Amino acid sequence: MPRVQRTATAAWEGNVARGTGQLSTESGVLREAPFSLPARIGNESGKTNPEELLGAAHAGCLAMSLANQLAQAGTPPERLEVRATVVLDEVNGSHRIVASHVEIQGRVPDSDDASFRRAVEEADEGCTFSALIRASAEVTVEAQLSSERVGAAG
Amino acid sequence: MATERRAEITWQGDLMGGSGTIDAVGSGAVGPLDVTWASRAETPEGRTSPEELIAAAHASCFSMALAHGLAQAGTPPERLKSSAEVTFVPGTGITKSVLTVRGSVPGLDDAGFREAAENAKENCPVSLALKGNVELSVDAQLEG
Repeated sequence: MPRVQRTATAAWEGNVARGTGQLSTESGVLREAPFSLPARIGNESGKTNPEELLGAAHAGCLAMSLANQLAQAGTPPERLEVRATVVLDEVNGSHRIVASHVEIQGRVPDSDDASFRRAVEEADEGCTFSALIRASAEVTVEAQLSSERVGAAG
Repeated sequence: MATERRAEITWQGDLMGGSGTIDAVGSGAVGPLDVTWASRAETPEGRTSPEELIAAAHASCFSMALAHGLAQAGTPPERLKSSAEVTFVPGTGITKSVLTVRGSVPGLDDAGFREAAENAKENCPVSLALKGNVELSVDAQLEG
């Protein structure tokens, strides 16, 4: 397969404590999205920050990897909801990303708890982002099949 | 004190034919964003991918670390324009992130700027998380 390159651009003005930045991506989905230090370590106030973008990357990576595992097992998912929480902490005086906690809810016709959990483990192993971040941070994955059925509401 | 930042995605269908939406991030600054396998491994077509989001995280993390380093050295930047280009090799993983920065920093020369950029590349939290598995580089120049 060919290699893929993805680019994002950040513009920053001023010092770190009071300055702000704008973030844009090649695909155009981010256009001058604001980010700042207070958004990173304090109140979020509508500005983004590197850790939530990593959370979005991790959730996206694991969702795709799990969709692939489930389809290969003959039980493609109807719906997967994946939430990633990335933790930044101070370790020996420097800021480090110490953990990414992932929670998954799946609606997968014809799968059972045991096969779903197995697919989740394989998806975690196959997700490039999990492998990367695990080298320096803790990764936890909790997964649950949802019993909710389409049209069964009410 | 630890800070936690959250993002959520919903995926429907299998990998090749299905699609996902990053419904929400904690700050509300971003999203909803569409994601597909094709946007990840082929052309983006206006949709994002995990690698593009890592590039966004890295570019923003690097900018903040550099602004911090420059200010601590007594030469705060007027403006920094940074980019991160992340390479994803399907089947292998994320192999490279190339940072580029152009800065306007009163009172600083090229050598000092390159040194500060090198330091930010080595020590920003996203770099520390990627280092060892991903080749990191930075090209830094002062402008006008």
